[in-house]
Amino acid sequence: MNIDANTSAIERDGKSERSDELLQDILQALRQVVPLSLGVMDPRSEDEEWQDEWGVLIGVTGDMYGRIVILGEGDVFGRLGESMFGMLLEGDMLHSFVGELANMVTGQAATLVSGRGYRIDITPPTVITGRMHFFGLKNVVKMSVAFERAGELHFIISRDTEGKV
Amino acid sequence: MATILVVDDAAFMRMMLKSILLKSGHEVVGEAENGAVAVEKYAMLKPDLVTMDITMPVMEGIEAVRSIRANHSDARIIMCSAMGQQGMIIQAIQAGAKDFIVKPFQEDRVIESVNKLLKAEGRPVS
Repeated sequence: MNIDANTSAIERDGKSERSDELLQDILQALRQVVPLSLGVMDPRSEDEEWQDEWGVLIGVTGDMYGRIVILGEGDVFGRLGESMFGMLLEGDMLHSFVGELANMVTGQAATLVSGRGYRIDITPPTVITGRMHFFGLKNVVKMSVAFERAGELHFIISRDTEGKV
Repeated sequence: MATILVVDDAAFMRMMLKSILLKSGHEVVGEAENGAVAVEKYAMLKPDLVTMDITMPVMEGIEAVRSIRANHSDARIIMCSAMGQQGMIIQAIQAGAKDFIVKPFQEDRVIESVNKLLKAEGRPVS
């Protein structure tokens, strides 16, 4: 995988260089899970309020302790679901798909991380909708990804403790 | 035709698996949203086969496999998980699972795994 051309679009604070590898694993996982072309964009600030969007939060344990948050509009998740499973998802099924998409992407990323000799486990996803504001995220790395014909998703990785990953 | 219990915390995934299994001529006799419910439903329904997720609330899938196999040593369980690292697969097989499918799965891969396991156990495949 070559994402060098995109790395300037990945924002980080000074303590989270190692999360970049995880972010790259997430990008590769996205390419494996979603059958649409994607590009990395300038990240959106997590300081601003997120309105009418969907979010999914997954906890990470093992060689990294932290959280992965994926944010996007419901329609974007819907179009991703349609590209993957050939059906338009609405209501409870769309809600369930959003959690499962996060599960599949972070699960694939965990598999890629294990290829580098580390182990991370993930918690079941929590799906959130409506107005969101994030507080207390530490050592943050973030990126935004645009999927062809589907729209954008935004990723935030927060590392709570110094881990190996 | 086999009777199958589908275990996954995501209703969407249960729906997808159910659709694939029904299309291939099997009967989904039950669904469970976590490992603890799966253990109860297995004892009640005695299905021919179980598809089991790993990352679930209340009781995760590998623990559920151990629990089911402790009481039903002939239980046939296929893991169906987004967590595909080698260590996880080894853990699942050691717990008693017979196969491991990584999500997102292909329809053919699910049918192949189910039918192969039923055939190996001497059951007619639809």
